Amino acid sequence: MKHRAARVVLIGLSAATVVLLAMAPVAHALSVQVTTVQASLEGPSDAQLLPFRPRLRRLVGYRAFRVIRVESRPCIWRTQEAFVIPGGRLLHVLPKGMREQAVVMQVQLLEGLRSLVDTDVRLQNRGVMLFGVDPERGPADGVLIIMLKAEE
Amino acid sequence: MTCAEAEQLLDSFVDAELPGSMLLEVARHAGSCPACDRAVREVTTLRESVERVVRREVEGVDLSGVWPAVERRIGRSGTRGVWRHVPRQLPVWGAVAALAAGALLWLRTPQPETVRVTHARPNQAVIERLVSSEGARVGIMKDRKYGTTLIMVSAPGEDTAQ
Repeated sequence: MKHRAARVVLIGLSAATVVLLAMAPVAHALSVQVTTVQASLEGPSDAQLLPFRPRLRRLVGYRAFRVIRVESRPCIWRTQEAFVIPGGRLLHVLPKGMREQAVVMQVQLLEGLRSLVDTDVRLQNRGVMLFGVDPERGPADGVLIIMLKAEE
Repeated sequence: MTCAEAEQLLDSFVDAELPGSMLLEVARHAGSCPACDRAVREVTTLRESVERVVRREVEGVDLSGVWPAVERRIGRSGTRGVWRHVPRQLPVWGAVAALAAGALLWLRTPQPETVRVTHARPNQAVIERLVSSEGARVGIMKDRKYGTTLIMVSAPGEDTAQ
């Protein structure tokens, strides 16, 4: 009976150790947030985008901005993560390291199997950079904006 | 009114979304400040250019293919329910194995390079390499005030010049 109890405790402790070890990489990982925004000529803008509205306005020329998808997750250094972008696209993010308070990463935007753009960027820690995708049928559909934020 | 205050109201001013008294204040400030006047003109020109292109595009839109495409999508979405039948509970040992794999992954996880302290704008991004697919048009724009970088991509075969 004593042996059985000891075995149960041992298994419990082992499982707890494994869980703690498994949680550790998450704590050391880079946090990446990908927000997909639909920009259009007219209509309301989401409140969460109001701080970005002036610069979005200046950069893309549209005046209404709605969030259509937000995905945030920890990414492990030198491990590629895929973020789903509406419209059959994927954003591959491969964080490589920190340099001068900036996150060095490879970012690839795919449409199906085709790579639209593949770039190495150095983004200021906690900074935001944007990718814009022109609509398939022209600017009347608005523009898809992908906001990429990285935080160590 | 200061330039910073006018800058905050610039977009709403161009869109005529401000109350009358505020519109007047911004207009007065822009009338006496060449920098703000230039900023107003830039945003107005950009807006007009986008509107012009959109108007042209809308005139040429062909909607005849919309319903066939919607029907096709409806047909496809019906096949997605297969994943609901995946069992919810995995065997305990499978979970333990996954955790052990996580621990192994942690042991092999490389740490980031050393941080060197410098000062930079919060959203500054430096493009070190950029490759686009054949025929794709790529433009890089930077916001002067915040340093935010935009990489604009037009897929091949599209006519989206603005």
